Amino acid sequence: MAVDNVDLAIQPGEFYGLLGQNGAGKTTTIKTIVGLLRPNAGTVGIGEFNTWKSPTEVKARIGVLPEEFNLYERLTGAELLDFTAAMHGLTRSEAATRRDELLELLDLTTSGAKLIGDYSRGMRKKVALGAAIIHRPPVLFLDEPFEGVDAVSGRLIRNLLQQAASGGTTIVFSSHEMHLVGKLCTRVGIMVEGRLIIEETPDGLCERTGMDNIEDAFIAAVGGDPNDESSWYAS
Amino acid sequence: MVRQLVELKARLTWNGIRNDVQRRIGFPVAMLLLTWVAIWLAGKHLAVANELATSNGAAFNSYMGWAALFFFLGWVTLPVIIFPLDENLDPQQLAVLPISGNQMVQGLTAASLVAPATIVPVVLLGANAAVLGAGWWMILPASLIYIGLLMVGAQLFSAFVSAILRTRRGRDIATFMILGLAAGSFFVYRSVATTVSSIGMEQAALNHTIMDWAVLVPPVAAQRAITEAAAGSVLSALFFLTVSTGWLLGFAYVWRRLLGWMLTTPAEGSRPAARARRHGMASGAWGVIPTLARKELRFYVRDPRQRLVWTGTVIFVGLAIAGTIMGATGVFDLRERAWAPLAAPILVLFVGLPIALNLFGWERNAASYLFVLPPKPHQLLIGKNIAVAIGLTIETFILAIGLAWFTGQWSWIWMVIPLMVAAVGCQLAVGNFVSVITPLRLPREGTDVFAQSTEQGCLAIVSQTVSFFAIGLLLVPPASLMVLTVDFGQVIAPWFTALVTVAYGLILYLLSLLVSSRLLNRRLPEVMAWVQIV
Repeated sequence: MAVDNVDLAIQPGEFYGLLGQNGAGKTTTIKTIVGLLRPNAGTVGIGEFNTWKSPTEVKARIGVLPEEFNLYERLTGAELLDFTAAMHGLTRSEAATRRDELLELLDLTTSGAKLIGDYSRGMRKKVALGAAIIHRPPVLFLDEPFEGVDAVSGRLIRNLLQQAASGGTTIVFSSHEMHLVGKLCTRVGIMVEGRLIIEETPDGLCERTGMDNIEDAFIAAVGGDPNDESSWYAS
Repeated sequence: MVRQLVELKARLTWNGIRNDVQRRIGFPVAMLLLTWVAIWLAGKHLAVANELATSNGAAFNSYMGWAALFFFLGWVTLPVIIFPLDENLDPQQLAVLPISGNQMVQGLTAASLVAPATIVPVVLLGANAAVLGAGWWMILPASLIYIGLLMVGAQLFSAFVSAILRTRRGRDIATFMILGLAAGSFFVYRSVATTVSSIGMEQAALNHTIMDWAVLVPPVAAQRAITEAAAGSVLSALFFLTVSTGWLLGFAYVWRRLLGWMLTTPAEGSRPAARARRHGMASGAWGVIPTLARKELRFYVRDPRQRLVWTGTVIFVGLAIAGTIMGATGVFDLRERAWAPLAAPILVLFVGLPIALNLFGWERNAASYLFVLPPKPHQLLIGKNIAVAIGLTIETFILAIGLAWFTGQWSWIWMVIPLMVAAVGCQLAVGNFVSVITPLRLPREGTDVFAQSTEQGCLAIVSQTVSFFAIGLLLVPPASLMVLTVDFGQVIAPWFTALVTVAYGLILYLLSLLVSSRLLNRRLPEVMAWVQIV
């Protein structure tokens, strides 16, 4: 079982970091919440809406940046943003304005007319983020938003997320970039083998594990040894 | 290294069967189907060869050459024209390993033998050996060379077409190339069938002695090595074995070079139309359903496989009609039939079938993107249906006008519209249902755009055949009304027929939409899991 007995409640306006080693169940949890995976038992939802009883209402209120870039490779970046805006019911003029703003903000203005299939990994990440926020959703799910992006794009994404959070958007994100988790998150949840074992603030996690930084605290929390320096090459 | 790649292919095949329900069902079906095809072909081959062997030695030899050539051509081109028979190892994944080009070509060739489809040439070569027993000492080496030519030839051809599709200009001409192949195959078939039926197999084989060209035609050279051995000409047999081996090495060399180029040269990106580049999707009709439909229409043009579906097939159907009319002997003369243009909506059903019956399969991995967006299931279906209906409508009109012009039968051309509504309605009704119940995973686009598992190919064919018959059955009532009106002196008033036909198509479609959208609502994660490429 990929995810087992997870009891997770995220409050409006929280910046929640879902942490765990590879295969811990973070992506499965996010996919279950957004309606891409059906849970065997239990309930999931956004606000008053249950994901499986009112999928349309839930999807209208969320933006999703998936881990895998399963975007439409044969649409241009601009077309993808238009398409997503139309699916979310934005008017034509609203969509065009927000599309142009986002392309400029994400430094994609010149490549907005190119097919996504020709984009680099970082460009795909940025256009996917643009598509996730074009309708200004109250809840954002971001699976590894900083993976594979250059420092400039990473800073840009970080600023955008901070703006969204300060505007009251609830953000749930999974990441292995612990320094960013420490900077951005108001609360973190740690998953191990499909179970949510700890929920704490970043500082609280350090305190609880007796570590002075979030990375060591995370390693200690999942049962690793932060001081392990064994080397395979040396043997 | 060859052994490792063969083991890898066997392991992948076995793991696929163990872990994937679709493959667990598809593999035995594929094996049964292919074994039946192999035995049927071998039976036909044996019957003709034995008959010629007793009546005319020269005709027998000529026939054996033609048989070797036709099987080779079918094996090499069918995966590209119709559907792929096998899932090959992806050279892209092997490129980072320390494997030389020669090792890769040898390994991929040997690994391609680990496939259900191999049963067909093996059984056929067994039948071949049975009629050429006198050349026993040459049967094994020449048959091995022949199988090598089949495997390398098929991969070389597939790689060649894939290489063409990597360039922008190539993508533009690929449709016409595939079309040319399909049309060429059709006309060759017609020509052979007409010749054989008019002068008989023996005379036809005598009149066209392919064996004289064996040096230039690799599979024929391999066959001739055996026939020469059977005739007792040792030196000649060895000569033709050497020639066919040379051809095999030549094919392998070209394939190796092509693979090397494909693995190190990035594919050229496509350029969307200037209007799309300027305006994105913000021009034209707006809203959930129109935007979805426009997205689909853009993919019909931009995705080479979908473009092939829409362009290649309709022209092929047109050529088939033209060929039938031109070559018909004893077949009714279409030109005297007032209903000739009304055949268009029915013929066009063949065209949209791969898309209408697998609406979500074409989304590939992007299904997970589409399914986190808020449109309701019925909106998703309607958006996609509108795009299919537009495609079918355009093709119906082209074909109907073409048929009317060719036959001079314009009096009932207006009736094409109600019949088209019924035909499209039936196709979409069945298509929506099948798309939600049994979506099919399409192959990944990579080094080989034609890579696809055998089981998927067989399931696709079974599913599409059954669905096509269902559509045909649903079309019986409106088609009967049409026949009564058009061909039986207006037994039923034309306006009544038109009205009932339109209503019939719309009602069927709406009923199916109701059921399919409810099913999709419940099966969304399952549909996504089936169509995503892992």
